[in-house]
Amino acid sequence: MTQESRVQEFVKAFEGLRSEVEKVIVGHREIINHVLVGMFAGGHVLLEGVPGLGKTLLVKTLAEGLDLSFSRIQFTPDLMPADIIGTNIIVEDANGRKHFQFQPGPIFAHVLLADEVNRATPKTQSALLEGMQENCVTVAGNSRPLPAPFFVLATQNPIEMEGTYPLPEAQLDRFLLKLRVRYPALEELNAIIDRTTQSRTVTVQQVMSGPTVLAFRELIREVPIASHLRDFASSIVMATHPQWDGAPEVSRRFIRYGASPRGAQALVLGAKVRALADGRYNVSIDDLRALAAPALRHRIILNFEGEAEGVDVDSLIAQIVETAAGAVTQTRETFLR
Amino acid sequence: MAQVDVLDRLVAVVSSQVRWRRAEHYGLRAAFYGALLAAAVLFFKAGLGGLALVLAGVFLVGATLAGGVIGFSRRVPPTEAARLADRAFELQDRVATALEWAKREDRTPLVDALVADATERVQGLQTRQIVRRVFPREARALPVPLAAAVFFALAPPIPLPIPHLPDFMAAREDDPTPERVGTPLVQDTMRPLPKDPLKRPSFEERDFTARPGSPGAATTGDLSAIFKDTALAHQRPDFNSFLKKGDERLKMLEQVDRLPDLQSDFTSSQYKMVFRKSKALTGGLRPDQISPQKLRELLDEMERLGRKGGNWSPDAAEGMEALEGGNQDKALEAMEKALNKMRAQEEAQRGGKNLRGGREGERAGNRGRGSEGGGPDDQDFGEGEGLLPGKGKSPSPKGEASRRLQASPYDASVEGESRRGRKESYDTNMTGRGGKMPSRLQYLGVIGQYRKLMEDAITRESVPRDYHSQIRDYFQALDER
Repeated sequence: MTQESRVQEFVKAFEGLRSEVEKVIVGHREIINHVLVGMFAGGHVLLEGVPGLGKTLLVKTLAEGLDLSFSRIQFTPDLMPADIIGTNIIVEDANGRKHFQFQPGPIFAHVLLADEVNRATPKTQSALLEGMQENCVTVAGNSRPLPAPFFVLATQNPIEMEGTYPLPEAQLDRFLLKLRVRYPALEELNAIIDRTTQSRTVTVQQVMSGPTVLAFRELIREVPIASHLRDFASSIVMATHPQWDGAPEVSRRFIRYGASPRGAQALVLGAKVRALADGRYNVSIDDLRALAAPALRHRIILNFEGEAEGVDVDSLIAQIVETAAGAVTQTRETFLR
Repeated sequence: MAQVDVLDRLVAVVSSQVRWRRAEHYGLRAAFYGALLAAAVLFFKAGLGGLALVLAGVFLVGATLAGGVIGFSRRVPPTEAARLADRAFELQDRVATALEWAKREDRTPLVDALVADATERVQGLQTRQIVRRVFPREARALPVPLAAAVFFALAPPIPLPIPHLPDFMAAREDDPTPERVGTPLVQDTMRPLPKDPLKRPSFEERDFTARPGSPGAATTGDLSAIFKDTALAHQRPDFNSFLKKGDERLKMLEQVDRLPDLQSDFTSSQYKMVFRKSKALTGGLRPDQISPQKLRELLDEMERLGRKGGNWSPDAAEGMEALEGGNQDKALEAMEKALNKMRAQEEAQRGGKNLRGGREGERAGNRGRGSEGGGPDDQDFGEGEGLLPGKGKSPSPKGEASRRLQASPYDASVEGESRRGRKESYDTNMTGRGGKMPSRLQYLGVIGQYRKLMEDAITRESVPRDYHSQIRDYFQALDER
């Protein structure tokens, strides 16, 4: 199989999966794209939005489009780590001898929907950490690998913060992308009403298997990126650090901590998926611009002044990206000097 | 290695375009300076003759050509040319990425597909000029020197002033010496000027009217009227004796410590000034970190103030002795004692003018009965001390409960009556038993701890810098109460 055909196959699979999801989900094209970007990049995605916007439905539909196992955990304050990763139970064999047998928890699935993840205690939230980073969990001293591919889609509600436990920065950093699900437009709302208030059954077909997803993940890592674009991604991430010499004024003024190296990895990997889904063999500067906000918004911590002035992280990132892009594209103007 | 000839050709074309644009740019800049030179040469064409025109032409053309050559010969990095081509032809960084990765050892299989894709797209391009012309600032000003040069070229030669320098050659004996003696001008200049005798400045006397009732009669021209406010008013001024013997006012000036401290705030009391200085000295420091020199100065000042009419002078002196003996802790205790006495005296002087209740009177009465520093409620606490658990002077780990606590567990049910009259705000001025009960927390006992907590919070938490001074001012205001 030639490289061109591999890429064309990926484009076709990407488009096919998206169209299957769009059978159920109205609008949110960008959110669906980014969820698929996160899945093919091998990361996990956090969806944030008010109730009723279809976050859970989106994840369920995506799982239906994949020939993969799916489990859902509704996070509540009394959920315990063993409820997620499983536990050893005593079983009796045919000879009457008792022994421990591991009862796997719902984390042992290809696609895991962690619904309202900020409602569980930090102890339970951290039960996901090892699985998300290492693709394995440790129970009673035994490390058990999770099925591959393993993809966590978590949702959280930005309002009704009473009784919730905001995810700690260490766990937020584990998510490749954080997506903000916004209200649908008027036309989309009309389509939602038409689609959901009539007696019409939509069937989502399975268009992709687990090994296919893994093969695509390998392909994505082969996408080349030019050194000046890699420098651009690095400078975006570094510009989120207020103590960096080249940081713009907005960073120094409003940011307490900037993005980690995982942010740069997420930015470049996401850009590679986006380029390949677009049928290109290389990363362009537009890919990096498009992925900057989802890859960095949960990795930037505002300082007191930023919080007090209600600074929007997305607009902050947009300013940082423009500053960094100016440094890359200004050669066009200074070429003749 | 993948074939990138097509891409290289595109880069070469773009590089060539860049070079020509640079040649224009630098040529125009150089033409401006060449035109300036040409205009200058033509200005002096009276001296240079026909050579000026040639030189002007050489400068103008030569500078333009030199600038163009320099601009054309400047190197264009291929990567920058490739990025320029990507942006201009909307190739989405294909050319730059393909050229870079085609030469790399660790290229992935997708690179070949990328090169093929980029080549195909480049072949379908219509090559056009993508580098826009950038005019230098000098290009806008170029018509000015050019016009000047043309003007000077067409205008008649401008006569230049010929400088006549003095003849520095040695004069020969046979040189005819011009007769200049007889001219009236020379005669005037040679005439000796009349000697102007040096006139001594006369001592001009003025009449001063004597102030009625002043000692001694002021006669006409008596300068002692100037000193009519002094004891010397009746004497004639004798500046020598004035400087030798010294005026009383000069003597006063020598006594520096009796001069008013013009930098101090006289709206505040002595106690407040001394208290502020002591806080500035001891604030947040352990006894061993306090400067003995400054402590000595402070005790000295307290002792001096005590001598003027206070009862804390012995305490200050005791502190100085302790400091001389190297016992800084004892010196600090003595300073605290003296401060307490200063405050007590100030409060006694203010009498009933303040808004404080009967507690002060009670304390004053206790002092009067000789029970100075008798109970824990009566003493002020230093930095880091107080009634918080473990901070007090009591051996009990939770501190010693005040008598107020033993009397009634709740402040809300303090016995007493609110004062009579109109109350526009929260009123704590009580009468009766409630007014005489001491507060549970002693103000001076906790303010130091709270200020330390504030300093810690400012350094630890991310409080905006603009608010630091406001917070500190607030605590400073609390200190001064």
